[in-house]
Amino acid sequence: MSLSETTAVTRQPLGVRLFASELSVLFRRWRTWAMLAALGAVPMLIGLAVKFSPKGPPSGRGPAFLDQITHNGLFVGVVALVVSTPLFLPLTVGVVAGDTIAGEAGLGTLRYLLAAPTGRIRLLVVKYVSSVVFCAAAALAVVLGGTITGAVLFPLGQATLLSGDTIGPAESFGRLLLMAGYVTVSLLGLSAIGLFASSMTTVPVGAMAATVVLAVVSQVLDNLDQLDWLHPWLFTDKWLALADLLRQPISWTSFGDNALLQLGYIALFGALAYGRFTTKDVLS
Amino acid sequence: MKRIWTRWLPAAAVPAVVAVAALAGGAAAVSPPPPSTPEQVLALMASHASRPQFSGTIEERANLGLPSIPSQALGPATKSSTLGAEAAFLELLTTAHTARVFVNGPMLVRVQVMDQLAERDFIRAGSDWWTFDSKTNAVTHATIPTHGIGSDGNNPAEPGTAPKAPVVTPDQLAQRFLAAADASTNVTLGPSVTVAGHAAYELVLTPKASGTLVGSVQIAVEAQTGMPLGVDVYAKGQKDPAYHEAFTQLDLKAPDASIFMFTPPPGATVTQVPDPAKEGTQKAPSSTAPSNTAPKAPSNTAPKAPSNTAPSNTAPPSTAPKAPSNTAPSNTAPPSTAPKAPSNTAQGPTIIGKGWDAVVVIPAGDVPVGVLDTPLVKQLATPVAGGRVLSSSLLNIFLTDDGRVIAGAVPVATLIATAK
Repeated sequence: MSLSETTAVTRQPLGVRLFASELSVLFRRWRTWAMLAALGAVPMLIGLAVKFSPKGPPSGRGPAFLDQITHNGLFVGVVALVVSTPLFLPLTVGVVAGDTIAGEAGLGTLRYLLAAPTGRIRLLVVKYVSSVVFCAAAALAVVLGGTITGAVLFPLGQATLLSGDTIGPAESFGRLLLMAGYVTVSLLGLSAIGLFASSMTTVPVGAMAATVVLAVVSQVLDNLDQLDWLHPWLFTDKWLALADLLRQPISWTSFGDNALLQLGYIALFGALAYGRFTTKDVLS
Repeated sequence: MKRIWTRWLPAAAVPAVVAVAALAGGAAAVSPPPPSTPEQVLALMASHASRPQFSGTIEERANLGLPSIPSQALGPATKSSTLGAEAAFLELLTTAHTARVFVNGPMLVRVQVMDQLAERDFIRAGSDWWTFDSKTNAVTHATIPTHGIGSDGNNPAEPGTAPKAPVVTPDQLAQRFLAAADASTNVTLGPSVTVAGHAAYELVLTPKASGTLVGSVQIAVEAQTGMPLGVDVYAKGQKDPAYHEAFTQLDLKAPDASIFMFTPPPGATVTQVPDPAKEGTQKAPSSTAPSNTAPKAPSNTAPKAPSNTAPSNTAPPSTAPKAPSNTAPSNTAPPSTAPKAPSNTAQGPTIIGKGWDAVVVIPAGDVPVGVLDTPLVKQLATPVAGGRVLSSSLLNIFLTDDGRVIAGAVPVATLIATAK
């Protein structure tokens, strides 16, 4: 950070300054960049596999939209998003969200953070917002990796939507960005769960593992037909509905439903994290 | 900082607020103006008969007491040429569906069945009929002259090979039921409901006959336009509807014209259905059945089927009763034989009885060889004296040992008695 930036930052209100420092800590870590690079590598792997497989991808097999890649390279990003949504993305988000409070506690820096006149609520909000920024960065890493891979390896032609209509490269890119937005929204609930788990412990690995395990458990429950009454309440339920953005006209219902659902999870686990963090004795 | 229990209050308040919101959302009903004898509502519905313009989302689910068969398990079967129709039918009956429907008069129709990460489309733009399946990237196209179209937008002379919509709208379904609501049915008016944000009257059709499994049929009719918004079929002794179909979203404005324009996407396999004028001489449109059976199969389960086979409209109108009997024989035929529509055959299925407890009998000759031995049938059917029974809360199918198929919305005992 240059000197002029630093002085600009010091003039801003406390929360914003804390947020800026939080972000710079997050994005100066090797771990963060390694995770983003790994996410960006998913579309690269998919693109290379499709490009160099002896025969084209069979229609109707493998991950959804795989056969679209050869028509429009941008669909590498779509396939990568669909492939990453169940595990890779929750994994990285779980690591970041689980680290928020427990990481500081584990390093023994939490009490110094609280010694500054920040307040616990403000710290909690700042930590959450920075993990949300990581969610967006993670989704964008997949999309960017997909776009670059697609542009290098494949033609950027007409893409076929789920409805059978075709769209050009510009609109495909727009849809891809929308999907990144959808995925970011999808991960907000998980981030809130991670924040709460993180406020429960001083061992960051525990909070990370708990968050990721919950994401997996929720998806398993979502696949059990016997529990269909529970499905609309699971935070993973709408994750794969991101394909609704590939219909013509776009079906916004699932986007709205998903946002509402995630908002509920943010409210619940935010409130739980607040209850926990403001009543807890910070010893480390 | 002290431990204060009040700091946990928000965490307790959030679930309470969510619960209240969830309950209030379900209870927010707007009551329609009260005309309201069943006759008035029926007249309102009839006045709507010229199909309006709308776009909406339809939700459909069946709860027939069949074992739940996840679509993943049926996935491979849906693609097989011999099992496709059956699997698609089972999938329709055991899993829920959401579809978007765009209608601008009878000539412009688009139906999109929204599966997870996939979609099945039906588009009708004037004389062009298309189906598209995103999983197989397969397109079917038929050109059907626009003359002779019925008031409900369906061409009565429509050949069996024409692409059909994979779902039926509540409108079409309600018309079928009402066409059958003769003297054997009590028509009453239930408490008004709200469907997709529209106030609606609820017509309740109760069969007088005691021999049927159908408890009642409830049809929600939009209070202003008379458009049917939802249909619930209740089986006797079952609290949840055995079949539920309703709009979850409805916009009565004309959909954008671009929605009805369709050109096959690049790379798709396009199957051209021959001209219906030459019908009768044609063979199966393609021997690679999956592309055809997949989009078509569900439509045969639709209540459209009875009108092909039944001599009159007094046949039991339920979606379920006839469907399997039609689906099985006509679509699961081995690809080498040209599938023949039941109506073209000399013998054909016969309907015994009238109204709700009617039973359809398909002679052994009309049931293709091998259909009764398919693994899906074998697994689901339970053996009884004289054959096997596919049983559900709304519909029973009796597969006799001598090869006949007897089906109806009646108890198994009635079917067995009919067989004798």
